[in-house]
Amino acid sequence: MASSSLKAVNISVEFSGLRALDDVTLTVDPEEIVGLIGPNGSGKTTLVNAITGEVPLVHGSVSLREEAITSLPPWKIALKGISRSFQIVRLFNNLTVIENIESASLAHGDSLRVARGKSERLLDEFGLSNRAEELGGALSYGDKRRVEIARALAADPSFLLLDEPAAGMNEAETDALLHTLSRIPRDRKLGLLIIDHDMSLIMRLCHRLHVLASGRTIAAGKADEIRRDPAVIEAYLGAKAAHA
Amino acid sequence: MKRNLLTFFILGGLILLAVVASQVVGIRLYDRVATNLCISLTLVLGLQVFMGNSGILSFAHIGFMGIGAYASALLTIPTMMKGMALPDLYPFLKDVQLSPYIAIAVSGLVAALVAAIVSYPLMRLSDAAAVITSFALLVVLHTVMTHWSALTNGPRTLFGVPKATDVKLAALVALLALVTALAFKESRTGKLLRASRDDERAAAAVGARIPQLRWRAFILAALFTGIGGALWGHFITSFSPRAFYLKETFLILSMLVIGGANTVTGAVIGTFIVTAAYESLRGIEGLLNEAKVSSQPVIGLTEIVLALAMMAILVLRPGGLFPTREIGALLARRFGRPEKSG
Ligand SMILES: Nc1ncnc2c1ncn2[C@@H]1O[C@H](COP(=O)(O)OP(=O)(O)O)[C@@H](O)[C@H]1O
Ligand SMILES: [Mg+2]
Repeated sequence: MASSSLKAVNISVEFSGLRALDDVTLTVDPEEIVGLIGPNGSGKTTLVNAITGEVPLVHGSVSLREEAITSLPPWKIALKGISRSFQIVRLFNNLTVIENIESASLAHGDSLRVARGKSERLLDEFGLSNRAEELGGALSYGDKRRVEIARALAADPSFLLLDEPAAGMNEAETDALLHTLSRIPRDRKLGLLIIDHDMSLIMRLCHRLHVLASGRTIAAGKADEIRRDPAVIEAYLGAKAAHA
Repeated sequence: MKRNLLTFFILGGLILLAVVASQVVGIRLYDRVATNLCISLTLVLGLQVFMGNSGILSFAHIGFMGIGAYASALLTIPTMMKGMALPDLYPFLKDVQLSPYIAIAVSGLVAALVAAIVSYPLMRLSDAAAVITSFALLVVLHTVMTHWSALTNGPRTLFGVPKATDVKLAALVALLALVTALAFKESRTGKLLRASRDDERAAAAVGARIPQLRWRAFILAALFTGIGGALWGHFITSFSPRAFYLKETFLILSMLVIGGANTVTGAVIGTFIVTAAYESLRGIEGLLNEAKVSSQPVIGLTEIVLALAMMAILVLRPGGLFPTREIGALLARRFGRPEKSG
C-alpha cells in the first residue's frame, strides 16, 4: 500500500564539522500528532529545517507520499504541502494581519478572492478578526504566534510542523492553543509535528513522541511509554520527574 | 479595495490639480515644471514597483530610462536627419520612422525586454550584493550608451528627436503609472513580493518563489522607466548618455526615499516635494548669481540642500514620510468606520 506519510530517513546534518543530527529517522502519518522533544540544542529545530529544505543534509532522505523531496528548495517543499512555523516568530511585519495569512494561500495559487475568504475564516477561527487590519509587527507576542499558525494553515498543508508554538504564552493562552491544535489534524486531515518544552501540553496533545538528545534519537513511541522510558527520564525529564 | 480607490483619487487628483494649475497660470516655466513633474512621477512610480515591493535598492533604474529615450529617438528621428544625427547608424534602421506615440510605447517594451534578459540572474541576490550588482548594471548600461556610437552617437549629444511630449501626454502616462503601481501592489505577485521584503525565509516557507517575483517587478519597473525616458526624450529633444547616470539616479532615488519607498503615496508625495524643492532652489541659485552675492557663481546649492534634506529625513523617519500605509488607508482608519477587509 502506498504510504501517504511524511518520512525523514537516516537524516544527518553538520554545521562546520559539528553533528547537529546523527542518523535520525522520523515519520508523521496523516491526521496524527507527533511530539518532538529533547533538551535545548538537541537538534529539534534543525530536524524541521532539514525537512523543509532550509539546511543541507550530509546523509538521509525526505519523502512525502513516497515522493522524494530531499534537497528541494524550501518554496517547492512548501508547495508540495508542508507548512511550518518558526521558533522565533517570523511574520511579515509591514503587512496587515490578513495579508500575512493571505500570502500562503496566494503562493499556492489561490485567487485574490479565494485567499481573502480563506483568511477571513482563519482569522475567525483563531479569534483574530478584530486584528485583521493591524500590521503584523504591531501585534502582541501571543497574537503573532497565532497569526503564524493561521498563515501556515492557509496553505491547506498536508503536514504542519510547529516549532515551539506555545513558547512565551501564558497558561490561559496555552490552553486555548491546545484546544485549537487538538482539533486541527482531524478537521483538516493533516499530520502535525509539534516541538515544545511544555510537557503537559505535549502529553495531552500527542499520540506519539520522538525524543532527541545531542542529535540522536533516544526514544520514540507512544506517549505513556516514553514517559516511563529510563533513558528519556535521565536525558530530559530527569529533574522534573524526580520531583513529581 | 475602497481604500485603494480612495488612494487613487487623492493622488490622481493631486496630479491633475498640479497640471491644471500650471495651465491656468499660463506661464511657460510652469508648463515645463508640470511636464517634468509628470515624467518624474512615471520614473519614480516605476522604481517604486520594484524597490518598494521587493525592498531591494536598485541603482540600475535610470539605465532603462536611457534605453527608452534612445530607442524612441531611433524610431522617430526623421529619415533625412538621421544621416546627420547618427552618421554610423545601421542601414536597416535608417528608414524607420514611427509616430512618437507608438515609439514611446515600443521603447517601454524594449527597456522591459532588456531588463528581462539582464536581470534574470541577479534576482536571487539580496541585501548588499543586490545593491552592488544593480550599480554594476547601471555602469554597464551607461558604458554601452556612451560607446555604441552607431545607436547613440556615443558620448556626444544626439539632436533631432521630434518634440511630442506635452503636459497632457505626460500627465496621462503618470496617471497610468499610478494605477499600475497601486494595482501591482495588491496583485498576487505584489503581495508575495512584499511578504518577501519583510522576511525572505518566511516567504519561502509559505511557498513564494522569490527570484521569480522580483523578476516580474523588475520588468514592469523597466517598462515604466523606459516609457518615462522616451517621454523625456521627446520633451527635451536632444540629450547625451550623461543624462542617464548618477545625478538623475540620485534625484529619482531621493524622491522615492523621502516620500517612502514602501508606498505608492510616498512615491507620489516625494516626487512633488523634491520637484518643488528642486525648482525653488534652482530659482534661488539664479537669484543669488544675479545679485552677485559672491564673486564666484553659486553652483551646486541645489544638490547639496537636497542631499542634506534626504539625510535629515532618513535619520528622523527611516521609512520616509509614508513608510507603511497608503493615504487612503490612513484616512479610512482615522475617519471611517472600521472596514472589515481591504
Ligand atoms: N545555523 C546553524 N549554524 C551553526 N550551528 C547551528 C545552526 N543551527 C543549529 N546549530 C547547532 O545545532 C545544534 C542543534 O540546534 P537546534 O536544532 O536549534 O536545537 P533545538 O531546537 O533542539 O534546541 C546546536 O548545537 C546548535 O548550536
Ligand atoms: Mg529549537
